[in-house]
Amino acid sequence: MSLDLLPTVLDRLLPGDDELGWPSASDIELPRKALKLAAERDATGALETLLAKLPGDFATLEEAGQVAALEALEGADPDGFATLILYAYGAYYTDAGVRCVVEARTGYPARPPQPKGYALPPFDESLLATVRQRAPFWRKVEG
Amino acid sequence: MQGTQRTDVIVIGAGASGAAVAWRFAEAGVDVTVLERGGWTPPAASQSANWEWVLQTERHPDPAIRKAAADYPVTTDATPIRPALFCGVGGSTLRWGAHFPRFHPSDFRTRSLDGVGRDWPVGYDDLAPYYDLNDTIMGVSGLAGDPANPPRTARAMPPLPLCPATTRLAGAFDRLGWHWWPSDSAINSTAQPLGKRGACNHCGPCGLGCPTGARASTDLTYWPLALKKGVRLETGAQVAAIETDRDGRAIAVTYLDADMALQHLEADLIIVAANGMGTPRLLLASRSMAHPEGIGNARDQVGRHLMHHPTAIVTGLFDEPIGMPVGAFACALYSQEFYESDVADRDAVRGYQLQGLRGQGPLGTALGGYARRIPWGSRHHAAFEANFGHGASLTVTVEDLPDPDNRVSLDERTVDAASVPAAALSYRLGTNERRLLDHGIGRAREVMDEAGARDIVVTPLSRQAGFHFLGTCAMGEDPETSVTDRYGRVHGVPGLAIVDGSTFPSSGGVNPTPTLQANALRIADHLLGRIALSPTTEDETL
Ligand SMILES: Cc1cc2nc3c(=O)[nH]c(=O)nc-3n(C[C@H](O)[C@H](O)[C@H](O)COP(=O)(O)OP(=O)(O)OC[C@H]3O[C@@H](n4cnc5c(N)ncnc54)[C@H](O)[C@@H]3O)c2cc1C
Repeated sequence: MSLDLLPTVLDRLLPGDDELGWPSASDIELPRKALKLAAERDATGALETLLAKLPGDFATLEEAGQVAALEALEGADPDGFATLILYAYGAYYTDAGVRCVVEARTGYPARPPQPKGYALPPFDESLLATVRQRAPFWRKVEG
Repeated sequence: MQGTQRTDVIVIGAGASGAAVAWRFAEAGVDVTVLERGGWTPPAASQSANWEWVLQTERHPDPAIRKAAADYPVTTDATPIRPALFCGVGGSTLRWGAHFPRFHPSDFRTRSLDGVGRDWPVGYDDLAPYYDLNDTIMGVSGLAGDPANPPRTARAMPPLPLCPATTRLAGAFDRLGWHWWPSDSAINSTAQPLGKRGACNHCGPCGLGCPTGARASTDLTYWPLALKKGVRLETGAQVAAIETDRDGRAIAVTYLDADMALQHLEADLIIVAANGMGTPRLLLASRSMAHPEGIGNARDQVGRHLMHHPTAIVTGLFDEPIGMPVGAFACALYSQEFYESDVADRDAVRGYQLQGLRGQGPLGTALGGYARRIPWGSRHHAAFEANFGHGASLTVTVEDLPDPDNRVSLDERTVDAASVPAAALSYRLGTNERRLLDHGIGRAREVMDEAGARDIVVTPLSRQAGFHFLGTCAMGEDPETSVTDRYGRVHGVPGLAIVDGSTFPSSGGVNPTPTLQANALRIADHLLGRIALSPTTEDETL
């Protein structure tokens, strides 16, 4: 079954980065999470069809060979590949652990945007000093 | 058929224009029933951990991706621009960005001034009092005094704050000597003392709905007032046809109710507010002996002249983290430096607006957002870090000239539950529009360069940007070339009026909702036989 290839495929897409602190797909059980999202949207079949287009020996290829096979698949079926990316990135970037890494690496809070929201200083009218010197320039018309 | 009932006025669609017109009629004591195919849509998702996934799926603006029960089918083989809308109480304002600009006076006179498009049978001055009334009900943050626009009344609330990215863009506009101004936004920057709506807390994803009630979708603004005035709102009601008597007068509608039972509702006046795509779809599907080509379509005008505002997006990527997804995504600032016609400058007539967009969330960024998809593989994580929170974008929103071949028609191969065929979109980008887009892309690049971007990513025509459906049942004096008169009354069909953006003879180059709501209120007042605008009482504000 082509879906058996999903764990390997996801690790090639999202291999993690030890230096920067990003987990790989298998570190966070991404195959299960991605399949759950796909099942909710009746997209499991689409993923299966896409992965069936990979070469028969995909699982036994070296890492570089697997990457090359995925690049070829992306070129041959960009729309199908975009669906795979949607579920791969969708599951990865909604994972609680990954959101904590996002926070650690970028400062963007892992919590949802509500109910707390974020703070921004009020609009500073002094920024308008230059543009306020302009005379009205909208086009006048009758009526 | 389960039964026949009667009301004074039927409004089809509970969105931006339908809510406004229903309130105005009810306020005058008229018995109004609104039929809306969608339901109430609570704004819960921004509090959940998977909020970004919800934004990509069940809250996606494209009905083909969202696949909600309330949506109707749309065929998109013949257009490069995908539809963006929402069905429910509040209509597409449930999903919108709430950027709230007005048309310029010249937008109503493109034929007389520039020899293109169609003049409106009314002008800016006719709409001005209704812009103000609509502002009062929707609640607007902003600042009067913009030199690019006619003077307007003081805004009820101060502008929404800029963020580091949009502050950077403002400085670049200044140094280039180009106009910019803080957006008029239908989003409360401060809490409303009289109402229940709170202030914006800058959470970012306005499209998920607004738990503080700061962002004005009409389920939060017009609807509470309209319901208090006695409007009867039926949700899950899919209107299948407008019916006429033997003389061709509109007398009733047939609809499928929430229990899938067919209903028949009679009225003295039927008002269509189903959006510039849903309205022509319904008119074309309403065929009868009196109107064999669809109601109001004796001259083959219904559905033609579809205008979208083709949009390009220019994103600057900066070394510094200036673009976190904080603050209302679509409301910060705009430039109308290139709004009025200047053929010598841009080898095209009419103009465009540049509108600042704030950054997208982690998933939105990874999937491409306003820039390009983050590559998969070993470079993914470093590339994500270099992009997320580092972007600032400008949209180039150009005036779309009316072309009769750009249209909404019916695709009989697909029907909805009420057996109404799919809306089929045919749209080709015109030469003038392409030139305006290219000019705008060039200017937006200059802004990004001036702001210090290390990389600039251009989307020459945004695919998922069919937010605006205008012109498909245009107002005009001549029944040969228009669908309604200046008061939205459908030529040759007594008892039928249209109030949404399909009535626009031209599109302007800005987001259309304040104009279409003001126009709906103007039409309502005429249909009510009012001479002048009556003041709104205090308890009805916000
Ligand atoms: C993502 C997004 C962002 C946007 N941002 C902005 C912005 O920043 N500024 C701006 O000015 N505009 C914006 N818009 C556009 C704005 O939302 C629309 O211009 C406005 O809502 C149109 O108002 P309307 O009354 O014509 O239609 P809608 O608000 O779309 O309402 C039409 C209603 O009619 C109902 N309906 C349709 N057919 C039937 C039928 N047969 N039976 C019963 N009911 C029916 C629909 O369910 C819907 O609820 C945005 C839109 C989207 C999708």
